[in-house]
Amino acid sequence: MRVLVVEDEQDLAEAIATGLRREGYAVDLAHAGDEALVKARVYPYDLICLDLNLPALGGREVCRAIRSEERPDGAPQPRILMLTARAGVDDRIAGLDDGADDYLVKPFELGELAARARALLRRNGDGGPGPLRVGSLELDPARHEAAQAGAPLALTPKEFALLRYFMTRPGQALSEFELLTHVWDENANPLTRTVRVTVMTLRRKLAGNPIETVQGVGYRLREDT
Amino acid sequence: MKSFLGSIRVRLTLLYSGVLFLVAAVLVASLYLGLSLSLRDEPVSHAVVVERVPVNDGSRTEERTLVDAQAFEQQVNARTLRNLRTFSLGGLAALFVASLAVGWVIAGRVLAPIAQITSVAREIQARELSRRIELDGPDDELKRLADTFDSMLARLDLAFASQRRFVADASHELRTPLAIIKANLDLALTDAQATEESRATAAAVIRRAIDRMARLTDDLLALARLDAPAAAREPVSLGAVLLDAREELSAAAKTRGVEVDAAAGPAGIVHGDRDVLKRAATNLLDNAIRLARSRVRLAHGELDGWAWLAVSDDGPGIASEHRESIFDRFWRADDGRARPGGGSGLGLAIVRQIAEAHRGSVEVYSEPGAGATFVIWLPRTAAGEAPAVDPTRAAALA
Repeated sequence: MRVLVVEDEQDLAEAIATGLRREGYAVDLAHAGDEALVKARVYPYDLICLDLNLPALGGREVCRAIRSEERPDGAPQPRILMLTARAGVDDRIAGLDDGADDYLVKPFELGELAARARALLRRNGDGGPGPLRVGSLELDPARHEAAQAGAPLALTPKEFALLRYFMTRPGQALSEFELLTHVWDENANPLTRTVRVTVMTLRRKLAGNPIETVQGVGYRLREDT
Repeated sequence: MKSFLGSIRVRLTLLYSGVLFLVAAVLVASLYLGLSLSLRDEPVSHAVVVERVPVNDGSRTEERTLVDAQAFEQQVNARTLRNLRTFSLGGLAALFVASLAVGWVIAGRVLAPIAQITSVAREIQARELSRRIELDGPDDELKRLADTFDSMLARLDLAFASQRRFVADASHELRTPLAIIKANLDLALTDAQATEESRATAAAVIRRAIDRMARLTDDLLALARLDAPAAAREPVSLGAVLLDAREELSAAAKTRGVEVDAAAGPAGIVHGDRDVLKRAATNLLDNAIRLARSRVRLAHGELDGWAWLAVSDDGPGIASEHRESIFDRFWRADDGRARPGGGSGLGLAIVRQIAEAHRGSVEVYSEPGAGATFVIWLPRTAAGEAPAVDPTRAAALA
């Protein structure tokens, strides 16, 4: 899951990014509205945490612009979670009317931010609340635990994030490029074989080779593992 | 009875018809009196009409009264006066009744706008000051009253709105550092594998946020105090104020590697609150040190009954369209990043309020790229508007 955090306060942006990375998200940062819009046009973010009070281009304008545009590669619209220090009802109504999916008032708990992010991403059709289950695989995003046939798996954060992305799309063939843009952040080098390497290490930790290679396309998580 | 007389409409009606009645009564009475006096003093007929009638053989005549004209006249007069009296009294009574009715209607018409003003004023609550009376009609006293009322409401509306915006802005400014503190505490406390280094980073970030909140609350308090009119009035030298400010910020200037020069000048004695004026100078100097490339210059002097102090920096300067708004509370340039060096956003607002509390003003002269000069003008003997010149340049020219 790829997340863009747009916040002009450097200290706050860093803290949010660290918190979300810990949850297994690939997080990019933007500190101004125009920068956020450029990144949102280039990368298919699953979630955008958007501060309302931004230099150059306000959060509401960014939100409206994102909602009015086609996504780069026909990807679904990102979920938008607005972050703001303005707690008035009018502000909240305006934010939601601009196309935000949810609203969080500063100061907030990082735990609540993470929970709302999970809830919003669930609404993408990624299954109901609680752990994800595909065959014998089980993954709980909130507790950050994964298991196969009841036996806990020791996964690195990147492997965990990758498995989670596979488990939200069981049976679908996913290209390396899609995995790279959704599971890795903008600092990943697309010329390295980082996706292939991580898929390989993940495969090694899973019994029965549930992730199969689809010739000419990429990888697929078998539903009957 | 009392509540009945408590209505202006009733009192106006009574006054109107009472005065009318009195005037009419005096008029009628004087007419009556004059008429009756003139009739009595100047009888038309002086004598009786006499006819000489031949007596017996006609050798002599004898006077015989045919008509006693005077008695006749008197009778006629008495009847006329009686009639006049009756008609006058009847007329007066009718006039009184009619005047009551007319007075009631007129008073009602005159007072109708007041009823409108009252009902609108009653409906307007402190939270809903957007309503106006908007009285229609000719430009008369009542229309002017209603218009005055409307403009007062407009001013109140503006004042309340700016107060609300200020509170919203202040809470917004406080929430951001709070969010930073909370997020970093969450991070540091929930991570089992937190290293000593990551904890130290979180602590440094939290300290920065707390410093920012402390500065902001200080400035908010300063603004609130300035609203109170209890500023001390003593002779203060602006030159000494500038030197105090420079000393207070010498450490900050050293850290940033900025040199602060002070030019000599006349003492510039004004009457005011020394601590408050020093705060204004400190705020200007603090900004200048944060924005300067290498050098800040202080100057002070006197001009045309005004004393001035000036703080110039060689920083990025201020675009002309922003020269007014920089004095607004919590103002931020649209293209700006976060405030440089983490100012509270209240510094210049405080400076302006201090200058105005001393019946002076603050001006800024700047060319983008060539630094900015802030000037505080304070009256010594003068009144009205401060000279519209950059005194640091004026001194150089002279």
